[in-house]
Amino acid sequence: MALNSELVAEVKDLSHTYDGKKWVLEEVTFNVKKGEVFGLLGRNGAGKSTLIKILTTLISGTKGKVSILGMDPVRNGPEIRRRIGVVQQGESFDFTSVEGNFDIYGMLWDVPKKERIERKERFIKLFDLDEVRKKKAWDLSGGQKRKVQVARELMHDSDILFLDEPTVGLDILMRRSVLDFIKGEVRKGMTVVFTTHNLEEADYLCDRVAVIETGRILAMDTVDNLKQFYGKKRTVEVSVGKNEASAFFKKLMEGLPVGDIYKPGENGSALIITESPRQVLQKIIEASKDEGVQVDWLNVRKNTLEDVFLDTLAEGKK
Amino acid sequence: MKVNSPNILKLMWRNLKVNTDPGTLLFLVGLPAMYLIFFGYGFQSFAQTGANPKEVLKFMAPGIAAFQAVIAGQVAGGMLWSDKRWGMLAQMLVGPFTRLEYLMGIMLTSIVLGLAGAGIMFGVAYLLIGPTSITVVGIVLILSAALVGALLFGSLTLILSAFIKSSTAYNSVTILVLFVVNFASTVFYPFSSALPLPLQYLFIINPLTYVANTVRDGYLTTYGVGDVTNLTLLLVGTVILLFVAIWAYKRSDISFV
Repeated sequence: MALNSELVAEVKDLSHTYDGKKWVLEEVTFNVKKGEVFGLLGRNGAGKSTLIKILTTLISGTKGKVSILGMDPVRNGPEIRRRIGVVQQGESFDFTSVEGNFDIYGMLWDVPKKERIERKERFIKLFDLDEVRKKKAWDLSGGQKRKVQVARELMHDSDILFLDEPTVGLDILMRRSVLDFIKGEVRKGMTVVFTTHNLEEADYLCDRVAVIETGRILAMDTVDNLKQFYGKKRTVEVSVGKNEASAFFKKLMEGLPVGDIYKPGENGSALIITESPRQVLQKIIEASKDEGVQVDWLNVRKNTLEDVFLDTLAEGKK
Repeated sequence: MKVNSPNILKLMWRNLKVNTDPGTLLFLVGLPAMYLIFFGYGFQSFAQTGANPKEVLKFMAPGIAAFQAVIAGQVAGGMLWSDKRWGMLAQMLVGPFTRLEYLMGIMLTSIVLGLAGAGIMFGVAYLLIGPTSITVVGIVLILSAALVGALLFGSLTLILSAFIKSSTAYNSVTILVLFVVNFASTVFYPFSSALPLPLQYLFIINPLTYVANTVRDGYLTTYGVGDVTNLTLLLVGTVILLFVAIWAYKRSDISFV
């Protein structure tokens, strides 16, 4: 496949099956531009990690074409791997200390010793790992392990950094710190392919996102465009007493306009994504009267990326 | 111009750093040394009165040095399992080298450990027996047999680790296989036609017999044409097992990720 110089990854009609029966990816097509953060947004099991495995040369796609940095992952695996960084979803550590993990990684990627030490010290400080630098990586807490995995991958230069759910297990402050660091690297020219099911993160970090569900891409655009496209819709948030919620929402759902999306929450709350918020409010009042239920909380707001995501999934099911 | 180290050497260095902890090294050196001391002195009880008490030790020392090839092979399989266990296999497979280089890195580590282990065993033997006269040809034979042996048993354990899906099953199978390999060989005692016929066949088809015989001939300066035949057979066996190991590893590596 001829590569557009602005594109660092091109995927066309990619399908994949592990067992020859069930397709985990179906005719997936997208491009990643140089210097952007491209988000793969989807629920667990949607096919994001399989896609990352194919893009990072770990496995070959069953059908379709893939080009990474202008090269074929099947034929040019080592050349591609020399120019990418990969933070996989699962834990992975060399059975040695935190700083030992950094040293070995730098050595494997031929980072000169002086630079290796400089980078190691920088990332240990940046990721707040100084206190645990002598500890075995495997003995760290979940969040600390994740920090080591992300920081270790930055020991070497990459043209594309693949991050498969990189912030899982991190506390809010560290999550923001990691995301800000990635933003900084992108400003310096790095391209990032990022999978997440955390929509706030995608909203904060990604230039473009692809919503993926059961192996298919349902929507793909910039975050702003997606929000704008789905912007005519509104989200109605409603909350009633926990014990009365079942009857109330059953009644409410009967009267909802066709095409509205209902997402039940916890403790008697729910979201309704709709193009007709007035009509939904009317139905809420009616359900409240009919069931004798007091509404504790009612709010109408513009769509967030999470609402866009839910909407896209619902349309995908149709 | 900056010249980077070959990937196989870097991978070997990584394996030595992360996959050979003090416990592994103790296993590598301590267990064979104990075999040499306990069996070496213990078997002397069977020696007839008047026999030189150091003869058993002298016989067993090169056998134990050859046995290091098996230990090194076991460590090679263990390295692959260790990488699987700590999630590093998938991470290494997206590293800047080929899959074959990764595998060869393990094999090279196995060879280094096999040779180092054999050297240490001869050091222990020197302390127990004293100096022996050894020729250049003898040294070449010892090094060749230890090297080919480590490669052969490394390939064998890699095949086992590629096919066996759980670490418990892997440990059980390797313990059983290596027990048979160790004790149905000429490491601890000489081959004899007085042995039951099935055991004689086991001795004959066991590659460790040929490694031990060659190392022993090199050490005791009793070498001859038979050692060239031994090495040739070992080499053929190693090439076959190495190809099977590469095939098995490539066939099964997707299931590791």
